[in-house]
Amino acid sequence: MSARAPAGEVTSRGAAARLALFALRPVIAVYDARWTLLPPLTGAAMLAMLVGAVIVAPREAIEGEVQRLFYIHVPSAIAAYLCFSVVFAASIALLWTRNLRFDAIARAAAGVGVLFTALTLATGAIWGKPIWGVWWAWDARLTSTLVLLLIYSGYLLARSLSDRGDVQAARYAAVFAIIGFVDIPIINLSVRWWRTLHPDPIVTRLPGTQTLPDSMLAVLVLGMAAITLLALWLMALRSEVEQIGVRSDDLRSEIDRREAQRSGAA
Amino acid sequence: MNATIAVLLKDLRLLWRQRSGWLSAATFAAISVLTYSFALDLATGEVKPLLPGVLWVTFLFAGIIASGRSFAAEAEQGTFDALLVAPAPRSAIYGAKLISNLIALLLIEVAVLVMATILFNTALLSVELIAIMVLGTLGYVSLTTLLSTLGSRVRSREVLIPVLALPLLTPLLIAAVRATGGALDLPTGGGDWLALLAVVTAWTSVGSVLLFPFVAEQ
Repeated sequence: MSARAPAGEVTSRGAAARLALFALRPVIAVYDARWTLLPPLTGAAMLAMLVGAVIVAPREAIEGEVQRLFYIHVPSAIAAYLCFSVVFAASIALLWTRNLRFDAIARAAAGVGVLFTALTLATGAIWGKPIWGVWWAWDARLTSTLVLLLIYSGYLLARSLSDRGDVQAARYAAVFAIIGFVDIPIINLSVRWWRTLHPDPIVTRLPGTQTLPDSMLAVLVLGMAAITLLALWLMALRSEVEQIGVRSDDLRSEIDRREAQRSGAA
Repeated sequence: MNATIAVLLKDLRLLWRQRSGWLSAATFAAISVLTYSFALDLATGEVKPLLPGVLWVTFLFAGIIASGRSFAAEAEQGTFDALLVAPAPRSAIYGAKLISNLIALLLIEVAVLVMATILFNTALLSVELIAIMVLGTLGYVSLTTLLSTLGSRVRSREVLIPVLALPLLTPLLIAAVRATGGALDLPTGGGDWLALLAVVTAWTSVGSVLLFPFVAEQ
């Protein structure tokens, strides 16, 4: 303790930290309660979404029953982007702190994101067959979603080909994830110039020009809540599994080391 | 600056010593063009609309094969660890490797252009086309050079690098093919492809320089 900071600075920094901790308290409380909160909330929201999408929402006049996929399709796409944002943030945190916990989170989020991207593509294809007459069209959004799926499948592949506890491989994967995430808008722009066919977004229009009926919008919002909760729960589960995996690898190598020591001593 | 030049000289010497690797990439590029001409019947059909795609897929595949082993020799012989200890900035290590890869690939690509000019009877050696080629090559080589730092860390690296690089390079491929088509007086379907190509290249090269220190660490 050679250089003492001025007393005022210490208290103000302490106060700021305490204030931040106080503001974050609800967030931390929710995070700590994730195992008791997420399963029932997700279950209830998923059930409500299914009832809403199948029974409550009106039948679409032109597209018919297949339009009901919309309540899963759009939330899945948004959940996938949420997951990839988590991969991006966790990758930056990994490069910053070198804490392998963030690698586990990034891997978990990438896996869940790939799942929801695949779900988006699958529901889109099922909708496309009766409406467009084809399962697949080389439209801008479809193409960029497919490229997104390939990027994060590549990420998972690269990470699964190296050891879980390999910090250098984790950093490599994090660099790839950061480049991939920043690449997304450029890919979107390039394929939009390339060709486009997908219906325009109908939710994010200005108020007053909204074309979606209220009952459909309500079910869509419900679907977004349900799928987001599901994505959060899956990410929490996967990252827990990954972290337990890292710990069991550590324990196993520790056992091997001690056994080698004992046989060396004997 | 001296350190950068020293590392660059090392890489150029390595480029010359590993010329068999680069020659096999060049041979691969030549065979690829021949394969396309059999598969797509480029000998008799209307060649021009297909040429930009044929050329760029050849460039990309040859580039990924060739630059995928960028740091392999260094990693195997321990040069890489020595480089990291040496008082040279990380960006010098990356930049020197990028320049040497770029030189080798541009030589291969010019050879492919000459060959395609003769085979398909289409004038391909214009200033505009070569400018597009240099820009696009810088864009993809900067990314594959970064990704090749995978070194010996990951199994089946040879397959992994194309799997990682090609989806990321989708915008570059689209922009380069359309810009090349424009240079050959083909319809480009709107869009400022040259500007997009420049943006993608600027982003991959700046992003790679910034992120290289994070992967090159012992």
